[in-house]
Amino acid sequence: MIWKIIYLVLVFVLGWLLTKFILPWMIVRIGRLLGFRMRPTPITARRLARFRSIKRGYWSFVGISTLFVISMFLELIVNEKPLIISYDGRVAVPALNDWASKIPFLGISSFEKKEDFGQPGGSEVDYHLFQEIVENPGLISTELQAAKKKMDRAERSFKKLKEPAPDATERKKKRFATRKAMYERSKAQYAGLQDAEAVFGAGRAWILPTLYPWSAKSHREDLKANPPNSPTLEEKCFLGTTTGGRDVLVQLVYGFRISIAFALLVAAVGYFIGVLVGGMQGYYGGWIDIASQRIVEIWGSIPFLFTIMILAAMIQPGFWMLVILLVVLRSWLGITFYVRGEFYREKSKDYVQAAIASGVSDWKIITKHILPNSIVPVVTFAPFGIVAYISSLVSLDYLGFGLPPGTPSWGDLLKQGLENVQHHPYLIITPVVALAATLFAVVMIGEAVREAFDPKVFSRLR
Amino acid sequence: MHGMTSYFIRRLMLVPVTFIIITFMIYAVFRMAPGGPIEQARVQMLKAAAGEAGGGGGESGGTGMTEEERKSLEEYYQLDKPIPIGYLVWLGFWPNSHKGGKLSGVFWGDFGYSNEHSAPVLDTIISKFPVSIYFGLIGYIASWLVCIPLGIFKALKHRTHFDTLTSIVVFLGYSVPGFVAALVLMLTFGTNNFGMDWFPLGGFRSENWNVMWDQGEFWWCIKDQVHHTFIPLIAYMMASFATMTILMKNSLLDNLGADYVRTAFAKGLPERRVIFIHALRNSLIPICVGIGGAIGLLFAGSFLIEKTCTIDGMGLLGYTSLLKRDYPVLLGILTFGIVLRLLGNILSDIVLALVDPRVRFQ
Repeated sequence: MIWKIIYLVLVFVLGWLLTKFILPWMIVRIGRLLGFRMRPTPITARRLARFRSIKRGYWSFVGISTLFVISMFLELIVNEKPLIISYDGRVAVPALNDWASKIPFLGISSFEKKEDFGQPGGSEVDYHLFQEIVENPGLISTELQAAKKKMDRAERSFKKLKEPAPDATERKKKRFATRKAMYERSKAQYAGLQDAEAVFGAGRAWILPTLYPWSAKSHREDLKANPPNSPTLEEKCFLGTTTGGRDVLVQLVYGFRISIAFALLVAAVGYFIGVLVGGMQGYYGGWIDIASQRIVEIWGSIPFLFTIMILAAMIQPGFWMLVILLVVLRSWLGITFYVRGEFYREKSKDYVQAAIASGVSDWKIITKHILPNSIVPVVTFAPFGIVAYISSLVSLDYLGFGLPPGTPSWGDLLKQGLENVQHHPYLIITPVVALAATLFAVVMIGEAVREAFDPKVFSRLR
Repeated sequence: MHGMTSYFIRRLMLVPVTFIIITFMIYAVFRMAPGGPIEQARVQMLKAAAGEAGGGGGESGGTGMTEEERKSLEEYYQLDKPIPIGYLVWLGFWPNSHKGGKLSGVFWGDFGYSNEHSAPVLDTIISKFPVSIYFGLIGYIASWLVCIPLGIFKALKHRTHFDTLTSIVVFLGYSVPGFVAALVLMLTFGTNNFGMDWFPLGGFRSENWNVMWDQGEFWWCIKDQVHHTFIPLIAYMMASFATMTILMKNSLLDNLGADYVRTAFAKGLPERRVIFIHALRNSLIPICVGIGGAIGLLFAGSFLIEKTCTIDGMGLLGYTSLLKRDYPVLLGILTFGIVLRLLGNILSDIVLALVDPRVRFQ
């Protein structure tokens, strides 16, 4: 118990340090390596200082980003697979491997075979059973008895048969072979369990589980009642289970990561495209401007939620496909108007005219000269965009046209909450609180950013 | 004014172009997608055949449909023609071989036939209008009644405790989607979880509403209707609550800082008159312009809220049609949605030109 508290504190302290100091430092370093100055201009520095002075927005930002950074390491905190498992001198780190296996192109597997950890069979180790046996080695003797019975039975049925003669029928030979294999298998199993009993009994096996030893896809089979289970403290199921028997707390934290990552990706890619298109419109003007504005207008008239639902019903999108759909149909559109306006204004200014006159290429003028001066709408828009994209993902999941079934998501929890509104209120309360708190914090960030980057001064006479 | 008329004419001319581009894309997607209408019909027939076989006992189900049936279905959905031709048939500018070679399509008011509802698509869609309009209209009016006074108060009490406190409510309203609010309300006031089972869990009216109405129980009927309206109404209001309130507040604050207000104060007009006659009139302009956008919501409803509260309007129709792959209805709803949105945009411009004489469109 005490180490769990220490672990939890450690997670938050490390997450905070990572978010506050290490990550910014790394970003600056990488930026410098890539040739950026990575030093704010006086205006930006003033804006950042103003943002920091707006406490509610700043602390929401620190809180949300810390939680998101921590959630990047969720496999090490909330996972069925243990941090360390040791059996008879063999040590494995399944949780770390599980985390690494999510990084593309590394090809790391977190699979550990049962046989290697004192459990007969070739499938994935049952870590919960392993822990139970570590805590109570007596458990294995009952299993040993069962294995012995099984072995005896296989032995008897095998011994009944005689070795078939070479000219015996094919059927007899086959029967003999299967019984022999069965006998040998059960014998090996029994021997394995005997070894296991010795290892567990001698205390040469131990396990260090994660903070909350359940995965997004694992079912709470330890609970006595049928799912959905209400939250119970004594069974350590703090937020209950879904209708499928999955732990709501786990769904919630993994859903947080997916939602924020999704929204960030959609915003980043969409705004990248939107800034390019808007910049082109504002910079070149003329027929490019008119034609692409019409296209944006036409594209914006598509009822986007309905269209995504229709497409999702046909292609059953995964995470990346859904990001692409939302970018293409929605997120690049709104920003173009503002960026276009900014570029339009900036282009007529002297410094741009001077750059044009001295023969700087269009691309360089757009990216190096104008863009840094017209980034304000993008920055002020992003938090509200993120709110919108999180809501979109939740809505799509809620309607059943979002991420594939089985993916942890808040929308899916809400859907189950609607279906069980009479008797399982926690299925609505928990996702709603999580959603409202997250979105509220992001809105606070957005308010503060807007206040800092684009302050409105209202002067009243009276 | 001449420039303005030509502006609107140009905008109106853009509507068919936009309409054709979008609907063509969606039509093409429908045609190319797996599990299209033919597949759906085949599955349905298989199911029916299997059901009969199960009832009859033993005999194996049919192999789907005969070649002839397939042909007729293909012809009905114009699948035997290339996509552009099929689209033109759907639009009504190419002879429809199914209708005896006559022109028959959306342009002529023929949206096709829905097998799911056993009725023409247009009738199916129009039959959902009253419910959606009811909630859309009431929700919109209610949000005006709440947001405009609240926005005015917030502007007048800018940077006071009242402002801060209501800002929290507004931001909370902004962060919680309408359907989530509906869920919370249903949980709190629609079930007995907290001992406050005051409102029904969903539906537009009670099932015996029409009977009671015929019996002359008007009071009961009104009470029942109000009961069913409460939760969805708040959910609908949530959609525009935050943006409209903040819009109202900011626009009034802008105007209060403007020179003409300063002048009005300076020449000694009473504060009430300056604020409520001079400044308020101008700051209502952005709110009025929002009417165009509301048209879409008025007719199309909201999938999320209608699904959550099981209101049988356009949104729920779209949702169930999607689940059942009722393509003609889906295309019909999309068509309506697009047209309403395009017209709404133009309506916004017209309203802006009407209420704000300074505006000149080029």
